[in-house]
Amino acid sequence: MSMRSCRNWFRAIGVVIIVTIVVGGVIGYDRGFRERPQPDWVTADFETRFKYGSIGAEHDAGIPYWIFYVLPRVFPEKLTQDGKVLPGGYASLGVPWEQGQELPAGFSKKTIGFPRVANNCAVCHTTSYRESPDANPVFVVGGPAHTTNVEGFFRYLIDCAKDPRFNADILMAEINRVTNLDFIDQLLYRFFVIPITKKRLLEREQQFAWIYRPDFPDWGRGRDDAMNLTKYFMIGAPMDDTFGPTDMPSVWNLKKYVWDKGHRMNYAGDSSDAYSVIMDSALGLLGAAPANKQEFVEQVQWLHSYLSELPPPKYPFAIDQAKAAEGKALFDANCASCHASELTGRPLALAEVGTDRGRLDSWNKGAAIKANQVVKEMGLERKGLVEEDLIGYVAPFLDGIWLKAPYLHNGSVPTLRDLLEPVGQRPTVFWRGYDVYDQARVGFVSDTPAAKRVGTRLDTGSIGGSNQGHEFGTALSAAEKEALVEYLKTL
Amino acid sequence: MNELNGQQKIAKSPWKRRFIILFILTVVLPMLAVVWLVQRFGGDVPVDYASPTEHFKYGSTGGEHEMGFPYWIWRVLPDVCPQYLPGKGYQSLGMVFEKNADGSDRDLPVGTSQRRYQGIDRVFVNCAVCHTSTVRTAADQPPTIVLGMPAATFNMKGFEEFFFHCAADPKFSKEFILPEIERQGGQLDLLDRYVVYPVAIAIMRDRVLALAGRFDWVSRQHAWGPGRVDTFNSAKVIFNFPMAHLDPDEFDAPADFPSLWRQRQRKEPQEMQLHWDGNNTTVEERNKSAAFGTGTTPPTIDLERISRVEDWILEVTPPSFSQFFPVDAELAQRGAPIYKAYCANCHGASGSDFSGELVGKVTPLAEIGTDRRRLDSYTYTLAVNQATLYAGYPWRFTHFRKTHGYANMPLDGVWLRAPYLHNGSVPSLRELLEPAAARPASFYRGNDVYDPLKVGFVSDQAQGNGPPFFLFDTTAPGNGNGGHTGKAYGTELSADEKTALVEFMKTF
Repeated sequence: MSMRSCRNWFRAIGVVIIVTIVVGGVIGYDRGFRERPQPDWVTADFETRFKYGSIGAEHDAGIPYWIFYVLPRVFPEKLTQDGKVLPGGYASLGVPWEQGQELPAGFSKKTIGFPRVANNCAVCHTTSYRESPDANPVFVVGGPAHTTNVEGFFRYLIDCAKDPRFNADILMAEINRVTNLDFIDQLLYRFFVIPITKKRLLEREQQFAWIYRPDFPDWGRGRDDAMNLTKYFMIGAPMDDTFGPTDMPSVWNLKKYVWDKGHRMNYAGDSSDAYSVIMDSALGLLGAAPANKQEFVEQVQWLHSYLSELPPPKYPFAIDQAKAAEGKALFDANCASCHASELTGRPLALAEVGTDRGRLDSWNKGAAIKANQVVKEMGLERKGLVEEDLIGYVAPFLDGIWLKAPYLHNGSVPTLRDLLEPVGQRPTVFWRGYDVYDQARVGFVSDTPAAKRVGTRLDTGSIGGSNQGHEFGTALSAAEKEALVEYLKTL
Repeated sequence: MNELNGQQKIAKSPWKRRFIILFILTVVLPMLAVVWLVQRFGGDVPVDYASPTEHFKYGSTGGEHEMGFPYWIWRVLPDVCPQYLPGKGYQSLGMVFEKNADGSDRDLPVGTSQRRYQGIDRVFVNCAVCHTSTVRTAADQPPTIVLGMPAATFNMKGFEEFFFHCAADPKFSKEFILPEIERQGGQLDLLDRYVVYPVAIAIMRDRVLALAGRFDWVSRQHAWGPGRVDTFNSAKVIFNFPMAHLDPDEFDAPADFPSLWRQRQRKEPQEMQLHWDGNNTTVEERNKSAAFGTGTTPPTIDLERISRVEDWILEVTPPSFSQFFPVDAELAQRGAPIYKAYCANCHGASGSDFSGELVGKVTPLAEIGTDRRRLDSYTYTLAVNQATLYAGYPWRFTHFRKTHGYANMPLDGVWLRAPYLHNGSVPSLRELLEPAAARPASFYRGNDVYDPLKVGFVSDQAQGNGPPFFLFDTTAPGNGNGGHTGKAYGTELSADEKTALVEFMKTF
C-alpha cells in the first residue's frame, strides 16, 4: 500500500471520527440537555401557570418523566402513611390532583433533553375541600396544601432508589409497557438516566437524614419542617435536635404584608417580605443555584405580583348573617387587638401566646446570616431573612381563615371551634389531610373512619405537635363561641 | 474486518478458493441465517377479516402482543387443566362458538383474535368476548348469536381463574402440554416442538402467574357469575395498586357487561356520560379504556383495527324482538303513553330516539337508590390516575371523572340487556317494575333461553344442557336489587299497565 493511500485512509477515518463526534454531540445535546418550552396551555392563564408552570426546578431537582411515571407501578408498597400502605399512586400522598390532568398541581413537566418532572410552589400552596364525602374536591390556588404529604413524597423517592429493583432492567420493562421510546432514548435511559437518577436520589438520603429520625414524628399531611429544610439544604448546617413542623401557609393576598409597618413573614417572622420568602422557597425547590438567573428572577417577580393580588377565597357555604353580626362584636372585643390591628403581621413574644416552641427553636440569627450569604453568593438580590433573634410567632392575618385549618402554626387544633376551647378540652389525637369540610366546627372533618383512613394521625403529645397556648376567647359561652366562629367564616 | 481480510487475500490466486469458502462461512451463511430468523421470528401480522362483523368477532385489538397465548397452548389448556373448568372446554365458561360446516364447533370462540408475532401464532380476546351472546326462543331451539349484546353467558371471573389456576398447576409444562398438542392434531415442526413452544410455555407460565398475583383480589370477591365483571377494580390493576390494602368498601363491585349498539347517538348530538356511573363522556376514550381488558397497552394497541370496530359500533343496531317473538302491537300501543310519562325523560323517547332531558346524565345515588358498590369502586383516586394513561400520546385520557350516582341509559335493544340494573340484580323488565321487596331475592343467571312474557332470560331453571347456571343472591355484597323503585319508577302502576309498558319496550 502506498503512502498516499495510507494517508487517504487516515484522512477518511479522521473524517468519520469527527462526524461521529459531531453527530453524537448534537444528538447528546438534543436528547440530554436541550431545553424546550412548556406547552402553551400551561402559561395560558395565571392559575394554570401557578399550578403547572416550571420554576426551573427540572434542572437539578427534576425526576426523569418516565421514571417518575413508573415508580408507583414498580414500588406501590412503598407508598405508605403512618406505616400503612395506601393504594393510589401519587394520589395516595394527598397531592392536589385535578381530574383530567396528567400531573397533580404543583408538579411541572418540562423537557430538558428528555421530559422531566419537578415541583413548583403549588404543591404546598394549592388546597382542596369537599362539601361532603359524596362530592368532588374544589381546589383553591394559594391555599395551604393541608392534604399533601411532603415528607412522604421525599421518602418515597429515596426509598425507591434504595431498592435493588430500582435498576435499568426492571424500570425499562415497565417503561416499555407504557410508551414507545426510540432507540436513542432507550440507550439514554438504560445507561445514563436511570443510573444517574438512582445516584442522585441516594445522595438525597444523606441530606434528608433527619426525616428518618425515629425520635421525630412524621410531618404528616399538610406540614413540613420548613426551617430545618432551609438549614440542612441551603446552608448545609450540621443536624441538630430541633424539630419544628408547621402547616403549609396560605400565599394569597400577599400585598397585605408591609415591611414598613413592621410586618414580617413566616410563622416566626424570620423573613423580611414576600419577595424574599418566594425566592427562598423557590430556591428550596430548585435544590441548587438557578441554571438561568434572569429567568429565575423573572419567575419570582411574576409569582410575587400574582400572589400579591390573588384574593383570599370566600366561604363557599351558607353563613347565618345575624349570628355573624353578633360574632363581629365578640371578635372586636376578643380577637381584633392581635388579628385586626397594628400588631397583626408582627411577631409577638412567645410567652404571650404560649404555643409550641419547636418551630421557633428550629431557626436562629446565625442561620439567617449564613443563608443570606448563600443567596447573595448566587448573585440574587432580596431583603432576605431577618438577621435578629426571634421572639415568638407572628400574629397572623385572618383572611380566608376558614380554609386554613387545622389551626395554630403547627396545625395542632382541627377546627376554629376547638381552638376556642381551653387546651384541656381540645382534641389530643385527630387525623389531618382529609378534605371534607365541617361547616359546624369550621375546619376539616378529622375523626371519622374515612378521615382516619385517608388522613395522617396527629398526636398533640408528639414533638412539635403541642396544642397548647392561644387560650383566648376560651371563656366565652358556647353560644358566643358559635357566633364568633360564624363571623370568622366571613373573613 | 472480514471484508478487509478478504480484499487482501483475493489478490493471491491460491487463496481465492479458500477466500470464497471463508466468505461463505463468515458472511453468506450468517446472513442467510439472519434473513431466515427475521422471517421466522420477525413480523407482526394479525389475522384480518374483510367484513366488519367478522372483524368484530375475530379481529385483533393488539392485545396478543402482550397477553397472547400461543395458539396451541390456548387450544389444549382446557384438556390439560380440565379440573379448573366447570365443564367441557371454553364452552363451559359460556364462550360462544360458531359452527363449522360439518356442525362441529370452530377452533376458537367468538371474541378471540389471532396474530402472528415473534414467530408464534397467538390468541387473545377482543371486544366481542364481553359484547356478544346468544339467544334461544326455547330450550330445544338453536342459539342465535347476537353481536354487540352483553355477554350474558360469559363467566369472566371463571375465565381469569382458569388461566391463573392452570398456570400454577404442575401440568402447565412442556411435558404435559406438548403431548396434548400432538394428540389434538397440532403438527408442530421441529423448531416449534423443541425450542419455540417449550420457551413459550415457560414464558406464558411466568406471565400468567405474574398477572395472577396482581389479580389475586378477584378470588376473594363474591362470585360475579356470568355476564358481569368488576370493571374498575380491574382497572386499578393497570396501575398495580396494592389491592390488598384497598378500602374494603371499594370491593365486590361487579356490573353487567353493556351493549355496544348505536354508539353514535351516545356522542352526538351531545356526549352522554358513559359507563354505569357515567364516569367518562368520550366514546373513543371509553373504548381505549375497555381495550385494556383485551390485553392492550399504549405501545401495543392496534388502533387501526380498533377503529374498524369503533366505526362499526357507531351505527350497528340491535335485532328487534319481533324477529324472535311476536309483539302485541295493540298492547304495546297502550304502553307507549305510560312509557312516555314514566320513563322517557331519563331513558329516551324510544329504542332509537334517545331524546330526553336526562338521558345519558347521572342521577345521584340518593335518588336512584340502587346498589352503591359499583359506584364506590370508582374513586377519585382512580380517576386522576387514569389521566396518566396514554401519557405522551395525543389521546391521553382526559375525561375520566368521579361521579356520585348512576347514569341514565338509553334503552336500545333493552330486551337483550337482561338482567337489569347495573349489577344485573333483577332478572326481567317485568320484575323491575315491581317494588324492590317483590323482586326475586335469588334467581339463576347464564341461561340463554328467553322468556318473552317477563322480558328477560329464563331465570328459574337451575340447569340447562351444560353446567348448572349461576345462582344470583341479591343479599350478597354488590348484588342488591333495591332502588329504581317507587311511583316515579313505575313500580306502583297496575298489573295491566305494567304488562302494556313491558310490551311497548319490546319494540326497542
